[in-house]
Amino acid sequence: MSATQVRSYSALRNTMREFETTLIIRPDTNKDGIVTFVGRLREVFEQNGGRMQKIDNWGLRTLAYPINGNAKGIYLYVRYLGGSDTVKELERILRIREEIVRYLTVVIDGDIDPGARPSDVDAETLDAASEIAPDPLEVAAAKAAEEAAARAAEQEAEEAKAKQDEAGGASDDATSDDKASADKASADKADKASADKADKASADKASADKASAETTDKTETDKTEEEQG
Amino acid sequence: MSDDSDDRDGRRPGRRKRVSPLADPNVVIDYKNPQLLKHFLTDRGKIVPARITGVTARQQRAITKAIKRARLLALLPYTVQ
Repeated sequence: MSATQVRSYSALRNTMREFETTLIIRPDTNKDGIVTFVGRLREVFEQNGGRMQKIDNWGLRTLAYPINGNAKGIYLYVRYLGGSDTVKELERILRIREEIVRYLTVVIDGDIDPGARPSDVDAETLDAASEIAPDPLEVAAAKAAEEAAARAAEQEAEEAKAKQDEAGGASDDATSDDKASADKASADKADKASADKADKASADKASADKASAETTDKTETDKTEEEQG
Repeated sequence: MSDDSDDRDGRRPGRRKRVSPLADPNVVIDYKNPQLLKHFLTDRGKIVPARITGVTARQQRAITKAIKRARLLALLPYTVQ
């Protein structure tokens, strides 16, 4: 399509429309692939009287449902000025390229003066657009795992302390029982501790120790009862 | 008796109207904000009617449109099994 052809009606009025296109790229596309794709996009805009206003990479995200067997996708958001011919050509190219899983173009604003809207796109933002951010869901999961690990470590420390405290009295099999109950008690406490953080943690520790001490007493009495029975 | 008057109001006693996430005038209904739109989906992924959520008709039209766009981009599910 050459630039000399009749373009959109807004082009005849010397105004442009603002569009945004969100596209999903296959998750196995590497950074170079995105760089070349963004270069191709720029060519399209140049050849069709469009202008890129903003480009944003939302990173690798988990799709709400699988598309063409892909459970994840890289989201790329492009905002641009142009006419209907720009969109037509862009979408033609998006359909041809195999790494594009899906796209959606939406008109944001009609009849705007292109001079009044400076473009945000420079070399830096273009560079950032090819950077694939990790999946926010996975980031959250990793964070949760980290917290759980920290909690487990805290729990172990508590257990060790509890063991030291009870080291005097209890016999061998009694301590194994105690360990199980102490585990449970300290897990409950750890849940609470994550809610109201560090300043309470020390107090929790003390109470956990107390709880495990109580359970020690209980199991000992149970045992003596059994022996009597 | 008091129950009857409550029924006429269309509201049962002890049930308060929930605060809408759209109460803030700065919130824009947009398909790029699936976290906001999730408030207007059932747990099976259906769009909740305006009579339940209490949004205006104009807001409901915008929500419906935004949810359908977000579904196309796999930001929201069509169905939840």
